[in-house]
Amino acid sequence: MKKYLGPLSKENPILVQVLGVCSALAVTAQLKPAVVMALSVTVVCALSNLIISLLRNTIPSRVRIMVQLLVVSSLVIAVDQFLQAYVFEISRMLSVFVGLIITNCIIMGRLEAFALSHPPVPSFIDGLMNGLGYGLVLVVVGTIRELLGSGTLWGCQVVPQAFYEAGYMNNGLMILPPMALIIVGVLIWILNAKQNKVK
Amino acid sequence: MKSFSNTYIFIYVSILVVVMVVLLSGLTLGLKSRQEMNFAADKASQILRAAGYDEMSGKDAADLFAKVAVRGEGEKECYTMQCADGTTGSVVRVDGKGLWGPIWGYVVIAQDGETIKGVTFSHKSETPGLGANITEEKFQSQFVGKSLYDAAGRPTSVRVLKPGREPQVAAANRVDAITGATLTSNGVDAMLQQLPALLDSNRQTQLIAR
Repeated sequence: MKKYLGPLSKENPILVQVLGVCSALAVTAQLKPAVVMALSVTVVCALSNLIISLLRNTIPSRVRIMVQLLVVSSLVIAVDQFLQAYVFEISRMLSVFVGLIITNCIIMGRLEAFALSHPPVPSFIDGLMNGLGYGLVLVVVGTIRELLGSGTLWGCQVVPQAFYEAGYMNNGLMILPPMALIIVGVLIWILNAKQNKVK
Repeated sequence: MKSFSNTYIFIYVSILVVVMVVLLSGLTLGLKSRQEMNFAADKASQILRAAGYDEMSGKDAADLFAKVAVRGEGEKECYTMQCADGTTGSVVRVDGKGLWGPIWGYVVIAQDGETIKGVTFSHKSETPGLGANITEEKFQSQFVGKSLYDAAGRPTSVRVLKPGREPQVAAANRVDAITGATLTSNGVDAMLQQLPALLDSNRQTQLIAR
């Protein structure tokens, strides 16, 4: 079991492999879209890993990328349709970034590196864990940005009004994409320092 | 991995595509009614906000909208509706081009036929943080109380201009463009130029209908 937990820490797709950063910067200004995006990527990553792993002995290697894209894009379209039907507001907030899950390198990376050569159950868990590893970073960054940038969490006011009256101000830079990059950078720094990888 | 013949590859990919298409079509058809309900409710809540109602969403918005608004006949989608302050307003849909794709909106006009009570804009794919700000309250609230006619009674519509540009346009006929989103702002400006003509044509259709 331990080998599957890598994506949550020392093999984290965003912090260590530095994949999927684009969407991580774009959707983390608030916590709610970040969580929905994290769940969407997790579902797509786990299910595409499962499907490709089930098909792995029948897929001709010459067209395997096309087959992978076909599976991934179908799943992403399905997820997008579900979001539009059940969480319309958030699907508006995520706009193009749901569609862009198709090109998320984490998913193609796991298909190529894991699902094509492993049986279905481990592949499914691997996809799940990588999706969650991505989601973990999104949630952390989303929490920091929403708290400091808007004074809210999950859309509810958490910084008390008394703070604003005493002169506290929301940090407008937090809701802009550059700050997401800086936060991700700081997280990478913390992780590296903890693992003492950079001597 | 073993190698496969061309025929196998061709048939394999074809079958996979067909399977995926069938699954996705089924899913889309199954979810369609819910999605259309969401779109209608979203539109209703936007028009209600432009007419001065409090923010609401989903079924509440759709229900209230059905109660206060009556679809009119015209070249473009239009409604006659009761605004939050009790007066009657007419709602016209406008369509235009932004920087990356279509933009559209609904304009609520007071009974006098020239004062704007509120607007709401939407877009397909404008740049987040720049052009996409046309959907923000801050931009849209500028339009409230602006007039479609100048002091001499000529139809000018409302211009979206940078402060200082075209000083001959009076303050009652202009709002500030969005910094960094010149092309989207120009798109909104051009879109609103249709307003006087649209209102005229709607008025005429209504007269004929009577």
